[in-house]
Amino acid sequence: MNVPREVAAIRSSVALSRGSHVSAVRVAGPGAFEAVDSISPRELYIQDGQALHTLFLDDGGHAVADVYVCADGEDFLLLGEAREQSLLDYVRDRARQRGGTEIEDLAASHEVLSLHGPYAWELLAEVLTPEIIGLPYLGFFREGQLTCLRAGKTGEYGYDLLVARDEADAFVERIVERGAAFDLATATLEALDTCALESWFFNVRREGGADVTPVELQLQWRVSYERTYPGVSALLERRAAPTKRRIVLVAAGAPLAERDRVLCEGDAIGELLAATRSPTLENWLGIALLDASLAYPGIEGFTVARGSSAIPLRSLSAPPINNRSLYVDPQRHSYLTRDRDLFPPLGPLS
Amino acid sequence: MNMKETIAQQVAEREQVLDRLRQVIVRLLHGRRQPDELDPDAALFGSGFGLDSLDAVEIVVCLETEFGLRASEQPMMRGAMRSLNKLADLVLAHGGARHERAA
Repeated sequence: MNVPREVAAIRSSVALSRGSHVSAVRVAGPGAFEAVDSISPRELYIQDGQALHTLFLDDGGHAVADVYVCADGEDFLLLGEAREQSLLDYVRDRARQRGGTEIEDLAASHEVLSLHGPYAWELLAEVLTPEIIGLPYLGFFREGQLTCLRAGKTGEYGYDLLVARDEADAFVERIVERGAAFDLATATLEALDTCALESWFFNVRREGGADVTPVELQLQWRVSYERTYPGVSALLERRAAPTKRRIVLVAAGAPLAERDRVLCEGDAIGELLAATRSPTLENWLGIALLDASLAYPGIEGFTVARGSSAIPLRSLSAPPINNRSLYVDPQRHSYLTRDRDLFPPLGPLS
Repeated sequence: MNMKETIAQQVAEREQVLDRLRQVIVRLLHGRRQPDELDPDAALFGSGFGLDSLDAVEIVVCLETEFGLRASEQPMMRGAMRSLNKLADLVLAHGGARHERAA
């Protein structure tokens, strides 16, 4: 495992992930809408072939799963990462079910793969279909037993691929074979998590474990306050009270660690919920949960206590990366001509 | 001025800019979100607030009318359009909220 090399591939070419951290659950039958609607913190204003990015919450308003809800005809496909309780168990326990609602775990029959990178679309166009180029963000389609969702949490072009288990090896072989021309790398979960932090994507397995809700996590766009779903009462309470804490991105030139205490002129003002070395920015990045009056970017006066010394921190606006995928246009660019194309730098930190 | 006072001043100036930017986004979202729901580091486009390319044009116009910033003169405009805080960085780097709307 070479995380910097994997991250470099995600940032500049393509990387394939074959992890088991993403679960897939199908909710079908006449009660499918009602079941998913009862646990979704967002209105299901999606059409067939569209996905919605949301969170599933516990009764305290804490995120327990980071989920894409995909409208597939009358059914729903849920693709997500969960902590503690599995996505399947959450849906079974919490969704309103009436006769005929089927909740199926697709883990036995399918595997979730993903491709990430500024040229992921180009590789997938060769392996799957050229129509991938026109697939909008949070759009998906099915091709035989394969489902392809354009999503991703790296800040680059990203595609989650739900593939039948008996076809997965052959499909991966095709990707690897064609991927040679794209300098395809394999991405571990650690590399994906590093990219998520570099691009300010929420990680339910990391910062989701803290005693925080979407209010503190700057994830209010993933919930509605005008619906009924698990955790909404707790969220409404948090929203009504003055916000005490909020997360902000921080950077340092020395190693940071989860749970490091953050200080301002010697006073404790919060802690780090997550920290990683950013290979792209050649710096340490962290997600700091701070006193809300100080949780703003552009501040240089914070420190992290490390034994008898103090590591200077500065807060930044998110996301800190100027992702290449913002500038790669499938109509004009290609991995083959990448050296002739002019793109802005990915960093450094501003 | 001590460090905490300096920080408080920085925060106040940023909040002033963010307030004005939030008003613009609330308008673009046709009131579907309240200003306090617009987290400053949430993505403006794609996921996040789900704005589209037409909204991007509106934001560019707003930057010029509200803050006197000409988008064509900003080399990193695309990067600045990613979150409210990124937009605020751009505004603050060009004199902050001092620009007054033309009568």
